[in-house]
Amino acid sequence: MTNHWIDLKNSDCILIMGSNAAENHPISMKYVTEAQERGGKLISVDPRFTRTSAKADIYAPLRSGTDIAFLGGLIKYIIDKRLYSEEYLLANSDASFLVGEGFEFKNGLFSGYDAGKRAYDASKWAYQLDANGVPKRDLTLQDSRCVLQLLKAHYARYTPERVSKITGTPEKDLLAVWKTYAATGEKGKAGTIMYAMGWTQHTVGVQNIRAMSIIQTLLANMGVAGGGVNALRGESNVQGSTDQALLFHIIPGYMATPATNWPKLEDYLKRRAKSNDPLSANWWQNEPKYMVSLLKAYFGDAAVKENEFGYQWLPKLDAGKAYSWLDLFDVMYNDRIKGFFAWGMNPACSGANAGKTRAAMAKLDWLVNVNLFDNETGSFWRGPGLNPAKVKTEVFMLPACVSVEKEGSITNSGRWMQWRYQGPKRLGESRPDGDIILALGNKLRELYKKEGGAFPDPILNLKWDYGDSHGEFDPHKVAKQINGYFLEDVKVGETLYKKGTLVPSFAFLQANGTTSSGNWIYCGSYTEKGNMAARRSQKDAPNGIGLYPEFAWAWPVNRRIIYNRASVDLQGQPIDRKDWVVKWENGKWVGDVPDGGWPPPGSLQNPDPKARWPFIMTRHGFATIFGAGLKDGPFPEHYEPLECPVEKNYMNPQRVNPTAPMYGTKADAFATCDPRFPYVGTTYRVSEHWQTGLMTRPQAWLMEMQPQMFVEMSEELAALRQIKNGERVKAVTARGSVECTAIVTKRFKPFKLADLVVHEVGFPYHYGWRWPVSGKEESANLLTPSTGDPNTRIPESKAFMVNIVKI
Amino acid sequence: MAKAFFIDTTVCTACRGCQVACKQWKGLPAEKTVNRGSFQNPEDLSFTTLKLVRMSETEIENKLHWLFFPDQCRHCIEPPCLEAAGEPKAIYKDKATGAVLYTKVTKELDTESIIQSCPYNIPRKGPDGSLSKCDMCIDRVSNGLLPACVKACPTGAMSFGEYKDMRFWAQARLSELKHKYPKATLLNPDKTRVIYLVAFNPNLYWDYAVASEREFDITRAVAMQRLLNPLRGFFSQLG
Amino acid sequence: MELTRRQFGQITGAAAAGVAFSGLGSDLKPVMAHARELKTKAAKETTTICPYCGVGCGAIVSTSQTTGRVINIEGDPDHVINRGALCTKGSSLYQLVENKNRLTQPMYRAPGAKQWKPVSWDWALDTIAQRVKATRDATFTAQNAKGDPVNRTEAIASVGSAALDNEECWIYQAMLRAMGLVYIEHQARI
Repeated sequence: MTNHWIDLKNSDCILIMGSNAAENHPISMKYVTEAQERGGKLISVDPRFTRTSAKADIYAPLRSGTDIAFLGGLIKYIIDKRLYSEEYLLANSDASFLVGEGFEFKNGLFSGYDAGKRAYDASKWAYQLDANGVPKRDLTLQDSRCVLQLLKAHYARYTPERVSKITGTPEKDLLAVWKTYAATGEKGKAGTIMYAMGWTQHTVGVQNIRAMSIIQTLLANMGVAGGGVNALRGESNVQGSTDQALLFHIIPGYMATPATNWPKLEDYLKRRAKSNDPLSANWWQNEPKYMVSLLKAYFGDAAVKENEFGYQWLPKLDAGKAYSWLDLFDVMYNDRIKGFFAWGMNPACSGANAGKTRAAMAKLDWLVNVNLFDNETGSFWRGPGLNPAKVKTEVFMLPACVSVEKEGSITNSGRWMQWRYQGPKRLGESRPDGDIILALGNKLRELYKKEGGAFPDPILNLKWDYGDSHGEFDPHKVAKQINGYFLEDVKVGETLYKKGTLVPSFAFLQANGTTSSGNWIYCGSYTEKGNMAARRSQKDAPNGIGLYPEFAWAWPVNRRIIYNRASVDLQGQPIDRKDWVVKWENGKWVGDVPDGGWPPPGSLQNPDPKARWPFIMTRHGFATIFGAGLKDGPFPEHYEPLECPVEKNYMNPQRVNPTAPMYGTKADAFATCDPRFPYVGTTYRVSEHWQTGLMTRPQAWLMEMQPQMFVEMSEELAALRQIKNGERVKAVTARGSVECTAIVTKRFKPFKLADLVVHEVGFPYHYGWRWPVSGKEESANLLTPSTGDPNTRIPESKAFMVNIVKI
Repeated sequence: MAKAFFIDTTVCTACRGCQVACKQWKGLPAEKTVNRGSFQNPEDLSFTTLKLVRMSETEIENKLHWLFFPDQCRHCIEPPCLEAAGEPKAIYKDKATGAVLYTKVTKELDTESIIQSCPYNIPRKGPDGSLSKCDMCIDRVSNGLLPACVKACPTGAMSFGEYKDMRFWAQARLSELKHKYPKATLLNPDKTRVIYLVAFNPNLYWDYAVASEREFDITRAVAMQRLLNPLRGFFSQLG
Repeated sequence: MELTRRQFGQITGAAAAGVAFSGLGSDLKPVMAHARELKTKAAKETTTICPYCGVGCGAIVSTSQTTGRVINIEGDPDHVINRGALCTKGSSLYQLVENKNRLTQPMYRAPGAKQWKPVSWDWALDTIAQRVKATRDATFTAQNAKGDPVNRTEAIASVGSAALDNEECWIYQAMLRAMGLVYIEHQARI
């Protein structure tokens, strides 16, 4: 979230699309309701009428996988009716930047496409630079090569008629949503978006979100109270676990994982593009400080300048190769992974095409499964269709403690790092995950110390002193390590920071090995003033908009609303005078922690040389409507899901995202416009369960409320297939089948597309054969396909083709 | 200083936190259920399910609505069940809060007539023959805490406090909502300590949302009780 | 831990409703023994953050001083996000903790075996460390096919976890990267 949960109350219009907050983030409705009571509007756009839709002022249905058509139509609506803020666009975005002649869009493809590689040469999409290497701008926004004009030209095709033909949304509903949301472009009004996996789990996932980011920029909704782009994270610490980089492509603090194209630390530290605009903060130019401090946190005293601070001890990726979830299980399926940790996770149910995942696990030599409960992953060898005698995999199942039985921090969707404490003693022999990791690391280090082995250096040099006096995991020690220390006496300005003290914020980190920080964005979270995440002050900030700056701690630097300098005009005065976020007063910023302390520019023509443009994390300092860094084009374009019900994309001649990843094993079958699989299928969650259900299915109270796997369908489809409400039926895709209870409901309606009627059905993905013990309630991910977004490689679990048959 | 709930169904999201919070605080077991083609589960209140969010899908003036109704004992101001029981050891009213409370002694009475007497179809019989229903979390309320269900509610759909405050608040909220929902109404606000605000015809939410046709009409059993012992009802209310 | 401005579920503006059974003979008290004492009365209270979705609601855990186990978990009224409220899952947290289905000791399943076998922590961790080392040593790649230095093993993979605390995530990724893993993924990808 750019903003945070409480801030939803400040919104004049909340669009819930690609998420279902009332069911999956129920407490967020406290603030959604508050916004409504203050006169704000709630819009719900969803294939199915949900508990969120039940509270919405406007509900509009759309067929799964067509969000870009819907949002592209909104972009066109805003531009055609000139509902955007020119002033805001000039001060905050690249709308006025001129794009080079290499960029074009024709026949559904952007320039630079290589069909053999299914990839673009993104160098074709670049801004025109002046003699100083700074992007050329047209402050009149009239040049046909300026981003705003290119945007207008791109979305000219997204008429209400055409959008409706694709999405199945009646035109009047489209216009109602567009009109209501676009009204937030008015000065002082704020609109916000709450999205989740309904947007990310598509072959166009990133572009769904970019389309909304463009809308938020056009309507001046970025950086303001009640605005922003808000991803609702589905797990209590999925924000934190991403920040701490339990992902192949990043190391802590969103830095790239070392790869073969940066063989030396020097190459790595030089890889970021410089900005030649003296007014661009281009914050990532500080990355060397963060990287060297991270290496010092990893390897301690062993990391010295002479050995590149241990850079060679980190594994490197092959440049350009993906090692993502889909790739990992593809490689495992192809017999190339021998050992596997499933730690606090249930891959046998959680990822798309779970049947392939289960088959892949049977090829392992060993599996370590750490969890609260036995699950479909740990017990995969005795799962449906497997003969245990034939499964050679050795399995270790380790009992972890529940969160209330240990101490540590988690980071919520609003980037708030919050400390929690141990209540009960541990159950049985269960142990905190941290303890298990620490103990395993100790064993491994002992082994390498004793026996030697392949390249023992990183294992033996890893700083691993995170035990307390009993040798048990000490979360405070790690929290301090993540924050970082001065490793020498360091003088910053006039102040001397003593060796061994905690670094107050990332502005103090050094690139010469004199500081450590396990994660620069968390620098400031645990300082000499104490554990910031444990704070509980009820006091609001002076702007009174619900920031609660002394309750817990938010990254970065306790900023509660990021990009907040976009909430003010060129003089630093709030555009919304009532719900203001920051303002420039007597030579300093007040309110939220600003995105940098520089003064406001004053004007665009003659900016104060001490000023910096507001979007400090981008190279040129402006929000990028033109997304030149993506794998599938600088503007979002509608493509159908890999599995779709239509022969033709009504927007362009390419049916599917031409860069979507494809996998080629027999387990990766897919089917489009195949009469065997005539209905659109999607997956979702319900309030009463969570993720694959591993922390809810063993609980009687929750099972009482949602006891069985189900499929929701319209009354029309049920009549067509002669299915009765409550009847058990079978859902079948090209990959698998699952038995479900039919919920026949008015809340799903058939979609009228151009020349056909399409039915959609929906499945919760919470179930699995291990719980309930009947073994009959299985995972919806046995149905979902092996493809995903080309940028993030998040699987396309939200749109696929399915049949429903009577049993 | 009697208490009341105010339940504003227009902001209930059916998160069902209240339904579980009730079981959690009271340590009530889960029921074995199946999916009957609905999100609402269990199907009905029971001896161990004292709070239930009822869910109904209905089209009103060509617009789909999914109506949510967190059902529970209304703690009637003059409870017919208490009169029907006529036995303060079995059913009595807590003087301080107005909570209508059942004890295990209910199993010694004609439970059918007590059940029949309730215009909201609330009391449920357990395997031991006694009756149960919501007790207003009398333990919590007596110690200055909110009932578990109210505390759990995120959107303010459920409130709890002094009867006169709740009554006032309910009326104020009703006036506020009248232009959005012209058919909005409060359900039996003068007769119960659980005042519901609904946006549409109450029968669309649940058959017994508003007092049934037997509304405060004494059943034959109650009439007999009164004839036999005119003071029993009076004593019962002293608790 | 500091709990400020404690308002643990207090009813605004109302004094406790009183506990007297006035007006009834003392013989009636036992049958009307609706518990007027809170089950949490003597419990130790700690604050926690709900482990389910990403809203980050606060809850208060009441733990028995005698058994050391949980008596009650409900919303934290001083938490500025949820102000005491909890949804279905948050309200059922107690049952996540006090659950007979939980794993309480390490288990092992040998190749081809039909059953789990309980094992000791020491044995499990020793054996896992040996497996990691054997697989890593046998598959460690100093240079890739093109001859670029990579110092990695592609034969071990890890998934998880958004269910771990930040501090646990951090040391877990540090350990995995020191082991040379590149197949490191978790919930955020799916």
